[in-house]
Amino acid sequence: VTVRVSRASVALLAVVASLAVTACSSSSNSADAPVGPKRIAIITPSHDNPFFKAEAEAAAEQARKLGYEVLVNSHDDDANKQDQLIDVAIARKVSAIILDNAGADASIAAVNKAKAAGIPSILIDREINVTGAATAQIVSNNYQGATLGAEEFVRLMGEKGSYIELVGRESDTNASVRSRGYHDVLDKYPDLKMVGKQSANWDQREAFQKTETMLQGNRTITGVIAGNDTMALGAMAALKAAGMGHVIVVGFDGSPDAIASIKAKEMRATVLQPAAAIARMAVDQAHRLITNGSTGQPEKQAVDCELVTVANADQFGVFSRK
Amino acid sequence: MAESRVLGLVLRIRAFIALGVVTLVFSLLSPEFLTSGNLSILVKHVAINAILAIGMTFVILSGGIDLSVGSIVGFSGMVAGLLLSRGLVFAPFDSVIYPHAWFVVVLALLSGMAIGAMNGWIISRLGVAPFIATLGSMYVARGAALLMSDGATFPNLAGEASLGNTGFPWIGTGNPVGLPVSVWIMALLACGAIFLASRTPFGRHVYAVGGNERAATLSGVRVAQVRLRVYVMSGFCAALVGVIIAAQLGAAHPATGATFELNAIAAVVLGGTSLMGGRGTVGGTLIGAFVIGVLADGLVLLGVSEFWQMVVKGLVIVLAVILDQFQKRSS
Repeated sequence: VTVRVSRASVALLAVVASLAVTACSSSSNSADAPVGPKRIAIITPSHDNPFFKAEAEAAAEQARKLGYEVLVNSHDDDANKQDQLIDVAIARKVSAIILDNAGADASIAAVNKAKAAGIPSILIDREINVTGAATAQIVSNNYQGATLGAEEFVRLMGEKGSYIELVGRESDTNASVRSRGYHDVLDKYPDLKMVGKQSANWDQREAFQKTETMLQGNRTITGVIAGNDTMALGAMAALKAAGMGHVIVVGFDGSPDAIASIKAKEMRATVLQPAAAIARMAVDQAHRLITNGSTGQPEKQAVDCELVTVANADQFGVFSRK
Repeated sequence: MAESRVLGLVLRIRAFIALGVVTLVFSLLSPEFLTSGNLSILVKHVAINAILAIGMTFVILSGGIDLSVGSIVGFSGMVAGLLLSRGLVFAPFDSVIYPHAWFVVVLALLSGMAIGAMNGWIISRLGVAPFIATLGSMYVARGAALLMSDGATFPNLAGEASLGNTGFPWIGTGNPVGLPVSVWIMALLACGAIFLASRTPFGRHVYAVGGNERAATLSGVRVAQVRLRVYVMSGFCAALVGVIIAAQLGAAHPATGATFELNAIAAVVLGGTSLMGGRGTVGGTLIGAFVIGVLADGLVLLGVSEFWQMVVKGLVIVLAVILDQFQKRSS
């Protein structure tokens, strides 16, 4: 019986394979499309954050446009799960991995493993703490973006007053880079005083509760600066509930929800990371590498962020200019 | 003899003593702590965990555990978000109905109770261990919440006057008779739960099932029915929390409520309820929830780092369980 079943499945496999070959040969008619079923793996943090969803979708769309089959997966910020997903990508013999990694140090081994298997990794959004392992590391310039946001915050505050800061997950590099960028600007103004600072782990509900608690000692604050937009939106909800909707709230990321809040004159500003554009750049460079043997770019590349305010909010879409 | 009686008393009211100690420490360290404004915010924050923990108390008293409550919080919030932003779609008639905000709340609560009923049914009728059954539904409910919007947030739950579905955010921001809605819900629920646990046949049956299932069966308690009911209650409490959080934020996010089940279990255990079932009180759970809430808010007020907040919380929970062991030995 088992023999008969396996014969049937072999026959089925043969049919599927021949269909796949026909499908591929028909799709590889255009001149620059790769020959054969080439694959690109796209691995990012969880898609429940619109930022990572946008970058994964932008990368997948661009890769399909260039004729690749795509494997999209999420590592949920778990370095172990990321390692397993890299194993899967190696086993499926992908031509390149587009990776938004799960930790600057925790991801080095996984990227090296792919390199040893002859698979180039193009890192997006977050860097790792070594060079030479990944083929390219394309990130938005978090420090530049933070100074941009802080300068707007200073202007809105009129260079004076007290404020509280909400920091991202403290184990995450971008949380400290953004906080440093904020303070390199804010600390130059002696009349601007930080009266509270807490990590809300990038989370909206946590930002809501912690802002409510911090407001107890500090009813006179006139500003809140947050390390990302979900925390800024959480703070905004808390401020509105406390009848302090006039307080100046500035976030980071440029998420569609934050841009909607700016248009509704609640949040005042955010800093848009061009995540979708970066994802497309990464796929383009992977394509050049596969077809020409080189990305034509240095390994470390930083893309500048843009300030979004009520004046220009209409010009932005989902993590990119319209 | 007298000495051991005093010791026993201290151990029995240890959660109360812990609450007194942390409150005293924070009010000495921070002048804002004992202000009416801060206490009102504090109780509002405690309500989230306390409501979950009240439901969890009945589950644990019956000898079970419910790991799915955090996911039900996310799921029911998303049900509310979906109904408010996209309405009820009747595909065959190509029509969309936007239910009234109150009806949305009812449907969201029913969705949580449905998951609870599923848990209860799998546990009581199919004989699956509660830990495994609710672990499974924890993943299923979280996945379902993410699927509802493809991972996105439903951002604006204020409703539109033209659709007749405004009013939902009131649950998060309203202050009837000077107290937030969530605090009223917690207070009513707590009174109901204390009555249920100590004054009704159902309450006695829950203790009986958790204390000695075989004896309960022999004395005519319908064990399966009791089990089913406690999980439905737990699902209801979790859905209440989901609705409250979505209303407070004015947004529904599918990842809301992750690890809430652990906070709820911690409150129950801190309050002196035995994880083996059959022993504990709703009042103890409430105090446990307050200890955790006072610690969390007090440390934020003092500006203590997130990392230390986690260490302190963990130590307090372990200390509580160590004391629980002492109490068992002395009694």
